[in-house]
Amino acid sequence: MVKLSRTFLLVLCSIVLLTMLSGSASASVEYFEEEIKIGDGYQINNYVIDVTDVFITDKLAIFKVYENGDNEPIHDEMIGINESFNFDLENGEIELKLLSVGSGVLDRASVLITVRNVDTYLTGIVNGGHEYATYSGTPVIELTKTVDEDNIMVDDIITVTVTAKNTGDDKATNVIFSDPKQEHFILDKSILEQTGPMSMDVGASQTVFVYMLKATEAGSFILKSSTATFSNSANQAFPQASSNTPTITVTAPESLEVQKYAVLELSTDVDSMIVARNDKITATINIKNTGDAPASAVWINIIIPQGLEYVDGDSAIEIIGGVPKIYMESFGVQGEKEYPYTVKASELGTYTLTTKLAYEYDDGVNAEAQKDSTESVTENIYVQKGKYDELLEQPIYVYALPIIAIIAIGAWIFHRHKQYKF
Amino acid sequence: MLNILMVGNGQCGNRILDAINKQAFGGKTKFAKFYSKQKFKSRVETIVINTAINDLKELKHTKGKDRIHIPHLHGVGANRNIGKSVFTENKDLIMRQIEDRGRFDVAFVVTSASGGTGSSFTPMLIRELKERYDFPIYAIVVLPFREEGTLYLQNAAFCLRDMRDSGADGIILADNQFLKQLGGDIESAYNGINDMIAERILFLLDALDSDMMMVTDLGDFKTVMDGGAGLATIGFYKADKDVPVKTAIQKALSPSGLLFSTNVYDEASRAMIIIKGDKSYLSIDDISNEVEKLASAVGHVFKGIIVRNGEYPQVLAVLTLEFASELEKLYSVAVDAIQHEREKKERVDSKKEINKAFSQLDGLEPHY
Ligand SMILES: Nc1nc2c(ncn2[C@@H]2O[C@H](COP(=O)(O)OP(=O)(O)OP(=O)(O)O)[C@@H](O)[C@H]2O)c(=O)[nH]1
Ligand SMILES: [Mg+2]
Repeated sequence: MVKLSRTFLLVLCSIVLLTMLSGSASASVEYFEEEIKIGDGYQINNYVIDVTDVFITDKLAIFKVYENGDNEPIHDEMIGINESFNFDLENGEIELKLLSVGSGVLDRASVLITVRNVDTYLTGIVNGGHEYATYSGTPVIELTKTVDEDNIMVDDIITVTVTAKNTGDDKATNVIFSDPKQEHFILDKSILEQTGPMSMDVGASQTVFVYMLKATEAGSFILKSSTATFSNSANQAFPQASSNTPTITVTAPESLEVQKYAVLELSTDVDSMIVARNDKITATINIKNTGDAPASAVWINIIIPQGLEYVDGDSAIEIIGGVPKIYMESFGVQGEKEYPYTVKASELGTYTLTTKLAYEYDDGVNAEAQKDSTESVTENIYVQKGKYDELLEQPIYVYALPIIAIIAIGAWIFHRHKQYKF
Repeated sequence: MLNILMVGNGQCGNRILDAINKQAFGGKTKFAKFYSKQKFKSRVETIVINTAINDLKELKHTKGKDRIHIPHLHGVGANRNIGKSVFTENKDLIMRQIEDRGRFDVAFVVTSASGGTGSSFTPMLIRELKERYDFPIYAIVVLPFREEGTLYLQNAAFCLRDMRDSGADGIILADNQFLKQLGGDIESAYNGINDMIAERILFLLDALDSDMMMVTDLGDFKTVMDGGAGLATIGFYKADKDVPVKTAIQKALSPSGLLFSTNVYDEASRAMIIIKGDKSYLSIDDISNEVEKLASAVGHVFKGIIVRNGEYPQVLAVLTLEFASELEKLYSVAVDAIQHEREKKERVDSKKEINKAFSQLDGLEPHY
């Protein structure tokens, strides 16, 4: 039984040992070879190894290790040349080996310091030993965001104040404050903005931002937190600090404004409903705003069916991508406009002309523009045989027509050529 | 509708006007004139004037009646003094041609600064026009390649001085040297540069006479051109793919968009920016941001917006310059050039003295 438990213990120990070894996968070793005068010390992070005595003839030296500048040493060792002693530091270990001793105005000890698995941020000789070393601590920046009012109406203005206080035990250095842009509000005025970089002593407080926000819409909104990044006196960076996030309730004003509408009425008339082939038809688009709000970004598309051809029309009509269109930046209340255009009947058949209208308007209540659209379709247009259609059906014209066309093109090219000849 | 007069003097001016006429036909080929119509919004009259008949014959898209030949050998051989006296002799003929074409609201006169004919005719023509009419007149002046020689450099320097004294309402600079990167042989480099200038001028004419415009018109253009030191240039960018309007504006103001080497944020004094394209590209916020950036470095910036369904963004910027460091450089090279020419002439004169010494022997024979 005893034997068994012993084996068990051994296995347990090796497991613990193995996990410890693999745990410190980031094992690191640093070496410092230094010559330290009597009375001076060597600092590693918040620890200082002082050389308190050197005995030249005996080849001995006495070292004392202090933590955080305390008066009592945590280690007090006397070692000879080529001897060493170890002690734990933070999560790692220090080995100090005396290499030699030397005499002078002040006697000195040469040492080799081996530092294992310690995240060193501060190393070096300290003149005068541990009493004169600088120790780092943990600054804590507390950010407080306050508002003068948290229950307001749209368009009201609140004053936001952000203060910072160092409640830690070390000076905060390289402090940089930032304050994100606030949605649903607009910055009305910035009164104070101290973003740093600056340092803050222990206990110091500081007003960092003072600004005024104007509420632009109704709702319950959480102000974003202000943040600070900072380091301690040993320049170690700390995680970013954030402020609290006050909630502001914004109420919409009793809407006095009545909702308004732009109502564009559209109609399209044609001058004749029965035409002969190759005749022209004049269509007139009439548009009227019978609502009580002006329309903006008004687009009119004229849809011409196959068999009819757009010829020309009002100067406001532009052909974009083959489609006749009209664009108006705005169209006032009670405004009325007419746009005539002509189409040619190129093929027999029954047709209608469609006009599509799209526009936007501000209804006085909603922030975003309202969109609306409508369309109008003419009565049927009947295209019948024209006067010469009968003749054209004779085969001879099938030959005559291209010849006439070629002659016409030739005459045109000759004319142009002469016009541009020099 | 505006009435616009465009005159091109000398070979360079002629060819740029021909490029404008060609692009106005819209077609890419030289046959466009046979099947399409020029799409000017305004009534545009183009006139080209030259002393060299061969230069006029080369043109393809300018009507015969618009080509005016002032007979004098085959050009004036880059001699501005001869150019000036030829203009004076033919002034009445030229002015009658312009008079016959009715009244105008604005005129543009295009020339190189460094040749003989264009660079001497243009300032004198502007002065004559200014005496007779009161519409604004702008010169579009092409500066030479720096390696073209001392004669051209000094012509350019004197031409620009005459141009400022002529009463022109503004000088728009284009610089062959700066636009040289278009590459190729000299002929295709010229064609490339001419097409760039033509494209910008057509955009400008279109914008000055557009009813769909917000904000800018001929009056604004005048105000912009009044600013600065009487010098201006034009920037342009035409996207051929989906490009944010912000980038398009920045490109128009960057070296690749400009006709003349300048840092607009340092040297410009007023500007007009016209943006054309589909509504989806015309983000007012982005446009205002970019325009404000320029305005804070420059001064007043006029902006115009033209909505064109389905078109990628295009941006034209007219910038007047407060200061043109590139021109200062050109002037200092020109001063050296003038010095150099003078020394050469003195050397030739002293050679003449030697000839005189030799001529003492005329008619004598050696005696032994
Ligand atoms: N951009 C451009 N520059 C040109 C063109 N043709 C000539 N130049 C430039 O213009 C300058 C010469 O001026 P020209 O216009 O040829 O001269 P001109 O006015 O006809 O005068 P003369 O021939 O001397 O009677 C040189 O600096 C050329 O580089 C052209 O088609 N495009
Ligand atoms: Mg010439």
